[in-house]
Amino acid sequence: MQDILIPATAETPEVKFLYSTHTLSITGESYPENAMVFYAPLRGGLHDYLAQVSEQAKIEAHFSLKYFNSSSTKLLRSLISLLNDAARAGKKITAHWYHDPEDDMMMEFGHDLQDEFGTLELNVTPFEPA
Amino acid sequence: MDINDNLAEAITLVSAPHKLVTQTSGLLIEAQAVTPASSNGDVFSLFEENPDLVGLPVIENGRPIGMINRNIFMQSFARPFHREIYLQKSCIAFMDKLPLIVERETSIQDLSFKVIAGGEKALADGFIIAEDGNYAGVGRASDMLKAVADLQAEKNRLVMESIDYGSVIQRSLSRASRESMRRTLNDHFLIWEPRDVVSGDFYYFHEYEDGFLVILFDCTGHGVPGAFMTLIMSAFLQSALNEYGPRDPGALIAAVNRRVKQAMGQIDHSHGEPDAEPVSDDGMDAAFCWVDLGQRKLTYAGAHLPLFMWHPGDTEVQLVGGDRAGVGYATTAMDQTWRNHEIDLPEHSCIYFFTDGVMDQLGGRKGIAFGKRRIREILLKHADKPMPEQRSELMSAFTAYQGSHPRKDDVAAIGFRI
Repeated sequence: MQDILIPATAETPEVKFLYSTHTLSITGESYPENAMVFYAPLRGGLHDYLAQVSEQAKIEAHFSLKYFNSSSTKLLRSLISLLNDAARAGKKITAHWYHDPEDDMMMEFGHDLQDEFGTLELNVTPFEPA
Repeated sequence: MDINDNLAEAITLVSAPHKLVTQTSGLLIEAQAVTPASSNGDVFSLFEENPDLVGLPVIENGRPIGMINRNIFMQSFARPFHREIYLQKSCIAFMDKLPLIVERETSIQDLSFKVIAGGEKALADGFIIAEDGNYAGVGRASDMLKAVADLQAEKNRLVMESIDYGSVIQRSLSRASRESMRRTLNDHFLIWEPRDVVSGDFYYFHEYEDGFLVILFDCTGHGVPGAFMTLIMSAFLQSALNEYGPRDPGALIAAVNRRVKQAMGQIDHSHGEPDAEPVSDDGMDAAFCWVDLGQRKLTYAGAHLPLFMWHPGDTEVQLVGGDRAGVGYATTAMDQTWRNHEIDLPEHSCIYFFTDGVMDQLGGRKGIAFGKRRIREILLKHADKPMPEQRSELMSAFTAYQGSHPRKDDVAAIGFRI
């Protein structure tokens, strides 16, 4: 499979999906007018990857976002939902939701995700950017 | 409110050009041309006599076959012996054999793409305008740029005019709510700031004999699509109100949800075949709130959008979170329910609602969200003051926090003391 590497733009985050190291990172801001256009290929890639990845692989997902609009919210949820489903099916996945220590909105969103997706190991971590 | 300022600014930004050039023919200059029979000496004289002449077309049997660029010609001619060698020879020696030739009827848009594709040459030399392949004249790139700019301004003006009028419609639709709010609440504020003239945030207020219904909602998107959604939601809200009345906010939200999903064909296809036509995944966050004035009781049901509350003597502003399900959206179930929260209201209680455009706005030193904590701190500090003063304290703190960060979303808020 081909890695997915998308550089950040003003309206979309940086995406690094490296199949070889089993890591997915989404970093930045996300407020495209139509988030489906941006996230659909990523969701497809993640779906196919999770279907074929070995149960021995240690998968890591890193979400480090400062801002996302409501249509991005739904698609981020759907990515995490895919991870949660795969975790339930026995895949080893650790997800990290990073937020600035002072950013109560991002922290709260992380905790909501924890409540909503019970199977996935999801760490909500305050993170001071360098 | 800033709405009128926005409108005035939008209108002054665009003013209609007097006459629009839409076809290449509008740029035609009936310029002199030479033929292969003309000598370089003739061309030299023409350039000397006409200092403004940049390019000289060459035609053969009425058809354009090339263009002589002034600078290239003069430089070549200035080289040692060139003048002596070429003076009597045909002018095609220094001619560009592949000039840009466009037909008169070519649209300005097509022309601009051709000129850009032609690179530096077409920008400098201009282009030849033909009529059925026969030479008609020349056009200058600078005239074309002006025509493009005028067309752009005109299109912009038409779009802005249309959105401005959309804003008039949107504001008319909320007038009754504003008037009812003024009649019913003697201490309140309303903030409604569309990011782009029209808004995806909207509100509804209606007074009854025993109390009032107040609703703040935030539809997916902003600008024109967001505003579309507010109109749809307003219509569904009205029909749900006719059926269920105002006193059970949870039931009202559920009724709006069913109507949206039915009307927009929202069924969750996320696990279905991938080629299925994408369904609408639009909806809203909302706070629905019924206040019973006789019993001094408030019933709140929320989809994401929380309620902020302060009672006299409280040392902090309390937050009541809404349910997690949004209204509409493909992933919200048709039979989704929303919980009613019943809250007693001591005299002089303050109630507030904010859309996420306020809470999620980036700013500050770190460029992070304004957040609920900051809102609660500001509200607590000024809770004793009249609502219009609280509004200005909030907005000045919000604007200062936003600083030079762009506004991300529509912003709306309602506050009242009861």
